[in-house]
Amino acid sequence: MAVEPPIGGLATPAPGPSDIDAAAAAGGGRRRAPIGNRLVSGILLVPGIAWLLVFFVVPVAMIFVVSFGSRGPLDSISLEHLSLDNYRRALDPVFLPTLLNSLRYAAATTILSLAIGYPIAYWISRYGGRNKTLLLIIVMLPFWTSYLIRTYAWQIVLRDNGVVNSILMAIGVTSEPIILLNTDFSVILGMTYGFLPFAILPLYVSIDRLDPALVAAARDLYASGRAAFLHVTLPLTMPGIIAASILTFIPAIGDFVTPDILGGSETTTIAKVVQELFLQGRDWPYGAALGFMLMLLTLGGTLLAIGPLRREVGGL
Amino acid sequence: MTHEHDGSTIDLEQALDRYLLERRITRRQLLERIGAVGAAAALAPIIAACTSSAASPSPAPSASAAASAAASAAAPSPSAEPTPVPSPEAELNIYNWTEYIGENTIPSFEAKYGVKVNLDFFANTDEAYAKLGNDGGGYDLSFPISVDIPAFVAKGALLELDKSLIPNLKNLGAEWADPKYDPGNAHSMPYMWWTTGIGYDTTKVTDTPTSSKALWDPRYAKHIGMLDDYQEVFGLTLIQLGYDANTSDLGQLDEATALLEQQKPLVRVYTTNTREMMSSKDNWIGHIWGADIYTIQESNENVLYYIPEEGGVKGSDTMAVFSGAQHPIAAHLFINHMLDAHVSADNTNFIYYMGPNAAAKAFIDPAILSDPSVNPDQEIVAKLQELIDLGPELRDEYQKRWHQLGR
Repeated sequence: MAVEPPIGGLATPAPGPSDIDAAAAAGGGRRRAPIGNRLVSGILLVPGIAWLLVFFVVPVAMIFVVSFGSRGPLDSISLEHLSLDNYRRALDPVFLPTLLNSLRYAAATTILSLAIGYPIAYWISRYGGRNKTLLLIIVMLPFWTSYLIRTYAWQIVLRDNGVVNSILMAIGVTSEPIILLNTDFSVILGMTYGFLPFAILPLYVSIDRLDPALVAAARDLYASGRAAFLHVTLPLTMPGIIAASILTFIPAIGDFVTPDILGGSETTTIAKVVQELFLQGRDWPYGAALGFMLMLLTLGGTLLAIGPLRREVGGL
Repeated sequence: MTHEHDGSTIDLEQALDRYLLERRITRRQLLERIGAVGAAAALAPIIAACTSSAASPSPAPSASAAASAAASAAAPSPSAEPTPVPSPEAELNIYNWTEYIGENTIPSFEAKYGVKVNLDFFANTDEAYAKLGNDGGGYDLSFPISVDIPAFVAKGALLELDKSLIPNLKNLGAEWADPKYDPGNAHSMPYMWWTTGIGYDTTKVTDTPTSSKALWDPRYAKHIGMLDDYQEVFGLTLIQLGYDANTSDLGQLDEATALLEQQKPLVRVYTTNTREMMSSKDNWIGHIWGADIYTIQESNENVLYYIPEEGGVKGSDTMAVFSGAQHPIAAHLFINHMLDAHVSADNTNFIYYMGPNAAAKAFIDPAILSDPSVNPDQEIVAKLQELIDLGPELRDEYQKRWHQLGR
């Protein structure tokens, strides 16, 4: 009796790089699955494609079309004369400081999330033992409460007469409250707090897949602990690092909620400007153009990051 | 791009509404900000877009017999009936904000005219304007915000008011006779109004400020809160400079921008959540919605409110009859009822907003009348300016300068 071939990518038992091979096969890549299985995999794709179509492709296409339009009477959107005007306006250097704010916050959030998330993921994978699942659930625990409520809670912690300042003043570090809320610090803190779990999960997966025998082999060959980490562990977990970076950088650069709640007079981000153009400005075409350019910027950054990811995976 | 969408227009009201929703929430003291922020990403409104080229309504049985409103006739009798009293329809469908009308106001109308009032409530303009649509969506009368009246009128959503059915018009304060948003109150009647002003913590700001310049005082550096609303912020600054709050003079606007650039390093936060701004005690002085002061005082009793001596910004809600109204006479009689001095005073005593009714003042609770945050002195009232819809070109100019400020 012949062995049942795996159905698409979904029946592949062992996790690891073979996932990607199988996915490629399902997409008509290197290996060809029998016709019946291709049908099954096609049916399995329907919900995903429908989802993407309705909630991603259609809205983005609408924004794209609107971004070439102009305002009609009564602040309606007129598509009568399509032009690049809105893009010209969106390139106004007046937005440079706000764009730089966004990039600064997203970069800082990504770096901090990696710096904090990597040791946590490493520890859970290597020393978590039987409690790994429990520990991962704890990482996810904040998601049980609304992000907004958690962010508002930081207001209470950081305000002038909040928890942190009360402690600092009680132990005599400072006599006057230190301004923590409404600063770069509070925005980066809030974003890092919010997006850290998105970094920990992919990091955990890639660290957990790393065969400890490889590290042991490096040590056997007289690599120091540091050298083994730098030359074995770090490169082999690079896909996780890149995935974690993407998963924190993208939401961070588009975030207007955290700067709105924890930010101050100098922390305006470009996403906030887009929001304002849509709402208070009632200028959807202009807002759409600015939003679309932000999207292109994010996409460009992601592609840059995915390049190395592909190389790493290919090298495995 | 091809021109396949030629001529189609997509209504932007939803966007406007969401913006107003946020402001309204601060005013109405509702804790639904969460929903507002979450929904902001939704693009669904584009799909629901409707052309606004508007079926023109049948204008009301024409009006303006007694359009010479208000002040002149400060008549002795505070209540008046149209003569002859027309017979109203049996019912009246009203759509109002939640908790925005006195408990006796509607029963007294029902008893007087034998009309059955069907009352529905909304919590934000988002839901309200969507339901009201271009003809009222089954409601005869609702309470749109004054700045939205021009848009409602332009799309033919409102009936022109028949002033002969509203003899209580004589009770209207003189300053309400000819509002900018609706000249001569042709399509709407003012309902209640409020102010934007300045709140300060008396423990930190010890010399009773009277000018809006206190918001530029370096002694309060990094403890100054400003509204995150460019029309309000420019309005305050323009008034401080002695200009029109809605100026179209770009030189004046540049002057205001320069002042705001000076102020920016001193400002801690720009936010529309003025309750949080002042309750947190992080800000010692702030540009706030007047209606929030009570909530602020509940958590920080040291906060006082004033309207700058240079003048301030006021806003208002209106009563308007929609073009699809099935019960227009009852709706007019209701507006007349609301302008009755006793009814209006009862209403104010219940909801703590001042109405536009000059004759009602005699019957309003003295505690409310003596509260300058609800009922400012007449000389300040005379200096209040209403923000208007700037229109796209001018709005761009304001917005450009707002972006220049790094907002």
